[in-house]
Parts: sequence; structure tokens; C-alpha cells
Amino acid sequence: MNRIWILVFVQVMLFSSAIAQEGVSTDNAATQEDDYAENYQFDDPNQRKTFLELTAVLRCPMCQNQNIADSDAMIAHDMRRKVYQLMQEGQSKTQVIDFMKQRYGDFVYYQPPVNSVTIWLWVLPIMFAFVMLFAFILRKKKANPQNLQEKLAQADRLLKENE
Amino acid sequence: MKRLSYLLLPLVLFLGIAVFLFQGLFSDPRERESTALERPFPEFSLPDLMDETSQYDNSVFDGQLTLINVWGVWCVTCAIELPYLESLRNQGYRIVGLYYDQDLDPNYGTKTIQRVRQEVKQTLGKYGDPYQFNIFDVYRDTALDLGVTGAPETFLVDQNGVIRVHHLGDINERVWQNKFLPIINTIKAATSQDSEEEREVESL
Repeated sequence: MNRIWILVFVQVMLFSSAIAQEGVSTDNAATQEDDYAENYQFDDPNQRKTFLELTAVLRCPMCQNQNIADSDAMIAHDMRRKVYQLMQEGQSKTQVIDFMKQRYGDFVYYQPPVNSVTIWLWVLPIMFAFVMLFAFILRKKKANPQNLQEKLAQADRLLKENE
Repeated sequence: MKRLSYLLLPLVLFLGIAVFLFQGLFSDPRERESTALERPFPEFSLPDLMDETSQYDNSVFDGQLTLINVWGVWCVTCAIELPYLESLRNQGYRIVGLYYDQDLDPNYGTKTIQRVRQEVKQTLGKYGDPYQFNIFDVYRDTALDLGVTGAPETFLVDQNGVIRVHHLGDINERVWQNKFLPIINTIKAATSQDSEEEREVESL
């Protein structure tokens, strides 16, 4: 029974991060929708949606933890204008993100790249979960029968003493 | 033996966490590797701040070491570093301003270019004028291409137009000695070596 619960736990761990991230970006886009996008005109509502998504996932390099949709810093104003300008030129979402990354580094995008350094952020927790799982199973297998026999013997002794 | 290692475990954990947190006391969360370093200065074609009829482009870097100082009259720290920059100019360094003004931005209100020029003259008259000339980054596109996040920021551009230093914040004696001079010296050493080699080739 316990083992099943551990498996469930591991599954939840694996999927919760993905869910959490999606939650963040949609929340942001929803709450700020009408604030600043008014300054920009879009021919089609899809473009407006893309603009809102982009400004939600790009981080303001001046502020410690705000996206450019949320920030009133001058650099955030400039970056929003640039995003709009690039979109009007017909650049895709990834092209706009790459444009910003080239100038402000990986820091500017809320989704960190997977590379030789950051891979550990994903691998280590999973490895840890598996190691603990195996340790748990091994220990249980080894410990049970011996303990049980010892305990039974001890119980017998105690019973005899009491008699 | 096994028991001893169990006893030491909390101590080791404590020391590990203590060292990690202690390091954090001295780390600057704003410090990031600049992506502009060792890259050519972005292409630009911008007017002079004082005279829009004269235009500058990347040829301003040809053949000489240049300090590009990103600034504006609205920036307090920029005013503070002006006297030190002027002393650098007096030592023979070439300093060029990359000027931008937030008040010309429709998001912040409107200010005429005449007004900006007047304020620039006032500020430079008051604190010192280190600039050979000022390039006017009208829409702040060049600042964005450079990865500028605010003012002041200073770039050292070598004679080939490649960015060698990107400094955020003001320039003072300490920053100059530690961050700029070592690189300026290596650039100068490299160029003098080159010219010596050329001379040798010529004499052969």
C-alpha cells in the first residue's frame, strides 16, 4: 500500500512544476490585459493576445522580478515598444524572444534554457526521488523477516519468563 | 565508526548551509554577464545631440579607443560621475556620450529638443564636460541593442569597434583602476606589438 502512495507522490512531483508554470503566465495575462495594451493597436485580436503573452514571459532586466507587462521602468516601456515593433514587422514569438535574449541574456526570459548547468535542476530532484524510493524498498525487504523472527523469539522469552 | 559519521552529519550540513548563505551576503543579484562583450558595437546611424544635421555611424570608432557613456540630464548618478569623467578626458581619453531622454517619450510627457539641449548645456556647465560629442539615441534603439538597462552605463570600444568593457553604474577611481585600466593596458600592449611586427616586416 505504502509503495503505491510513493509512486503517486513521485508522479505528482513530476507534473506539478509544469502545471504551476502555465498557471503563472495565464494569470498575468488576464489581470493586466487592459492596463497598457491600450497604447498599442492591433489589427487582429490574436496579435494582441500574442503581445500580452510575450510581455508576460519577458522579464524586466532592471527590476528584480517583474515581467515587462507589469513594470513601469523606462526599460520595460522600451521593451514593450520593441516587442510591438518586431511583431508589426511580422516576427514570430520565438524570434522576438531570441531578439531580447541576444541583448539581455537568458535572464530576460522566464523560461530558463536547458543546458549543461541548468539540467541539474530537473535531473537532481528526480534522481533524489528514485534513490529514496530504491533505498526504501531495499531496506524494507532486508529488515522485515529478520526483525520479525527476532521479535517473535523475544516475545517467546518474555512469555516464558512470566510463566 | 558509523555512529561517528551520523553524529557529524548535522555539523557538515550546518557548515555547508552556512558557507552557502555567507557567500550570498556578498553576491550582487543585479550582476549579470553582459551579452554585449567582445561583440562589435551595434550598427547605428544617429544625429548629434546639439545639431541634428550631422550624423554619426560606426565609423566614429575607427582607429581609436573610445569610451561610450550612456547618460541623460534626468539621471542623478550621471551628474555625479561627470567630474571624474572630465578628469579622464584631461588625461587624454576619448569619451563620447550616448544621450537619451525619457521626456521625449510620449509615455512620459513631451519636451522639446530645444529644452533638452538647454538642460544639457546647463548640466555640463555645472559639473564638467567630458564629451568630445554626444550621439542622440532618439528612440533608444541603440541603447536597447547594447543591452542597456538604465543610466549611467559605460562601454569601452576598441579601435576595431569591438566592445571590451560594459560597466553598469558610475565610474569612479576604484572602478577605473580595477575594471578599465587592465583591459586598456592589454589593448595598448596588443596594438604596439602589432605595429612593431609591421615595422619588422617593412624593414625586411
